Amino acid sequence: MLLKVTDLKAGYGGSEVLHSISLFVNEGEAVVILGPNGHGKSTLLRAISGLIQPTGGSVEMDGRVISDLLPHDIVAAGVIHIPQGDLPFPDLTVMENLLMGAYRTEAWRERKQKLEQVFQLFPTLAERRNQLARSLSGGERRMLALGRGLMGKARILMIDEPSLGLAPFLIDDVYATIREINQKQGLAVLLADENADHIAGLANRVYLLEAGALVREGSAQELLKDEALLAAYLG
Amino acid sequence: MHVQDLFQAAYSGILYGSVYGLMAIGLTLIWGSLRMLNLAHGSLYLSGAYLAFALVNLKVVHLPLLVSFGLAVVGAGVVGFLIQFLMVDRILGKPGWDTASLIVTVGASIMLQSAALLIFGAQRKAMPVLLEGRFRIGAMLIDYHRLMIIGLGVVSLIALSLFLRRTRYGLAIQAVSQHMDAARLMGIPVRSTFWIVMFLSAALAGLAGVLLSSVFELSPTAGYNPMARALVVTIFGGLGSVKGTIWAAFIIGLLESFLQVYAGAGWALPGLFGFMIVMLIIRPNGLFGLGEMQRL
Amino acid sequence: MIQEAQPSLRTGSDILNKLQWSAGPWGKPRPAAVIAGIVIMLLLPWGLDAISFGAFAIHLLILIFGWGMVVECWNLIMGVSGIYSFGQLALYAVGGFTSGILVKEFGFTPWVTMWAGAVMTAFVAVIIGLPVLRLKGAYVVLLTLAFHELFRNWILNGPRWISYGGYGLREVPRLPPASWFGAEKTLPVQFMLGGFNIDLSGDKVLLLYYYLGLVLFGLCTFAIWRILYSPIGMSFRALRDSEAYAVSRGIDPFRFKLFLFAFSAFFTGLAGAYLTHYDGTISPVLLDFGRLINLLAMIALGGWGTFWGPIFGTALLTVLPEVLRSLEGYRNLSIGLALALIAMFAPQGLLPALVRLFRRATKGRRARQAARPVQPKEAIESLKQ
Repeated sequence: MLLKVTDLKAGYGGSEVLHSISLFVNEGEAVVILGPNGHGKSTLLRAISGLIQPTGGSVEMDGRVISDLLPHDIVAAGVIHIPQGDLPFPDLTVMENLLMGAYRTEAWRERKQKLEQVFQLFPTLAERRNQLARSLSGGERRMLALGRGLMGKARILMIDEPSLGLAPFLIDDVYATIREINQKQGLAVLLADENADHIAGLANRVYLLEAGALVREGSAQELLKDEALLAAYLG
Repeated sequence: MHVQDLFQAAYSGILYGSVYGLMAIGLTLIWGSLRMLNLAHGSLYLSGAYLAFALVNLKVVHLPLLVSFGLAVVGAGVVGFLIQFLMVDRILGKPGWDTASLIVTVGASIMLQSAALLIFGAQRKAMPVLLEGRFRIGAMLIDYHRLMIIGLGVVSLIALSLFLRRTRYGLAIQAVSQHMDAARLMGIPVRSTFWIVMFLSAALAGLAGVLLSSVFELSPTAGYNPMARALVVTIFGGLGSVKGTIWAAFIIGLLESFLQVYAGAGWALPGLFGFMIVMLIIRPNGLFGLGEMQRL
Repeated sequence: MIQEAQPSLRTGSDILNKLQWSAGPWGKPRPAAVIAGIVIMLLLPWGLDAISFGAFAIHLLILIFGWGMVVECWNLIMGVSGIYSFGQLALYAVGGFTSGILVKEFGFTPWVTMWAGAVMTAFVAVIIGLPVLRLKGAYVVLLTLAFHELFRNWILNGPRWISYGGYGLREVPRLPPASWFGAEKTLPVQFMLGGFNIDLSGDKVLLLYYYLGLVLFGLCTFAIWRILYSPIGMSFRALRDSEAYAVSRGIDPFRFKLFLFAFSAFFTGLAGAYLTHYDGTISPVLLDFGRLINLLAMIALGGWGTFWGPIFGTALLTVLPEVLRSLEGYRNLSIGLALALIAMFAPQGLLPALVRLFRRATKGRRARQAARPVQPKEAIESLKQ
């Protein structure tokens, strides 16, 4: 087990959003958390990456507890969170954004190679390397966010809503890229997604999240075949 | 209109601009990353100046002037770091941050100022200049020292820009200023980044203090006016924008100088005021586009 | 524009009802407390007379009245309505200088010039406000700061009748005045009032200033309170927290800001005149940036944006330096340390923290709600009523 979440509770300003979440991700696995909007997917990822402090439970990475660490130390443990909305640094160039992804010392030493890899994966970014991030299109920003996440020494990549705000013809590409990262590079992936349309060839296991609690889990094949289930939970 | 006057005005303008830049850029960096108005900035100017004074007048060991000045600048940086580490860190991001940070820096400022008063007394002190002497160009007298102020000022600003744009830590400072949460997700340690920001800003203010107190005499209340001017420059340049602040520093410096030379000292301030109002009417978003300012 | 709902006041209980209805979540007046407070303040001087430092205490109270007015007005525009003006001290000086000069050069009586000073200050505020208040927050800081510098420069280096060679006004006649339009018409300093012998000569003039200060301060505080806790007042607070919302409710931010700015300036100028006639002098030193920061500290220390906080802060920062006088050189150091410590441990202001502690000790959770300064949700809820 690479990432293990046990009884995690978290919320905002006194109200609890996540109620005792337990899940795990193995090395090289692609796990998807499916759930409607507003039910806690983002909160879960933010609680794992340390942006918000959990109020209960624990998160372990490689058997080591990381839930009491500050975000930058959680990154050092190999947990890279690619947030909803990408959050690029608007007044830095594409190149500078990517470099920031490699801020941690271990990653910084390898930044040249990492940059090469990212540019190979995303040729558009290579073209626009000296452009300010604020001038990128939606699809390009998504690529930047993914690329930036790959610059760190990630053991697991947590991606929040990869298809959010993208034009339909770009969405396939994004999932294809994630599939490549997971299957070719063997990087574990934890995806939070609102619908199950594109995860068929990608996910190994799926969790269903509703109102801050995990209501179902199972292999991707099982759950995705159950149309009725999907309809009920994702409307 | 003598060409003389033109040179004089330009020379003084660049001098003012350099000094304003040194002071203002610290404020800008702190505001941009911490969203804090550092009202202790004037006392950091003071710290640099008094540290230099103390080191220069050290009886135990005779330090070369350059070393004294250098140490004083670093010392001011340390003072800034301490303010951040001991006081501001404790209230970072807590509710009431906006005003609490204000008061903490005011408190620190008062403490530093009274320390200066206690240790050095209220009388004005004279500071030696780094380079004595002057030379002539036509009928204009140019101090080596003032030339050096310009030189050091410009070099520092360039060095800072390079640091911010080319080094990992400089980029991290920009990242934190642009989006704190995203920076965290990159593994950037926000708290210690703030330490670097405060150290740098304080060092620059200290440098301004060291340089200027040879020109104007030094006293415990010497920090306030530079800070007031720095505030004006910072805001005018677009709070948080390093580029804007540097431009603003020189524009305001030159404008002030030209007004002084051609319209008389009494018109400098009113002229500046008028210029700023007109600028803000034409470009309500400031020099480089301020964007929506929700709060101070 | 918002409809002004101010029915005419008839009976005493009617007045009380209006006060209670319009009082917001913070500051519901308990009539008993208010009356008790007023009575105490009226009788205080006689009580203080018995103490050896009584006169000094009254002196401090006079300063607190004056600066309290300035600070609560500044808090009104800055802490409550989000107009970040740094010109408050300069406006104070406008009031002080106006009144002082009118008395010195033209021989008018301070009783009248005080108000002239207030009006002049409000006028200046409107002139500044017209171009400045339309701009975004930080630029208001910029331009009011520039105004501050400008004014300071002017009274330092300006024409003789205002700068007196940079020393400022000296020997400004105090109350009671000497003359009016040249004619000798002194206000009596010793007279009978309902069987009591009133003697305001010499030192006793302190009493005059005390009561005058009490009246002015009370007036100002009452006016601010009415503004804050009326339907219009709620809109002012909404302005600070969400200008977009306020606009959508039909409130014209600019007009309100201008009004508030002028109102604040009026009382600030009044306080300026009041204290100038008390001190007998006013000079450019007053406008040192350090003093401005000191005022700022009074607001933030007491409780930014709260009602009583700034007044509490003023009292604290006026009394503390005196109490610590024995520390001499270390006095300011301790004050600085105290400020820093208070900011670190009571970030929202000392008064809210103290109130919270007190109520937690006595009442528990309900109290914690009441001790918060007005939050945007409350303002918007009350606007809906």
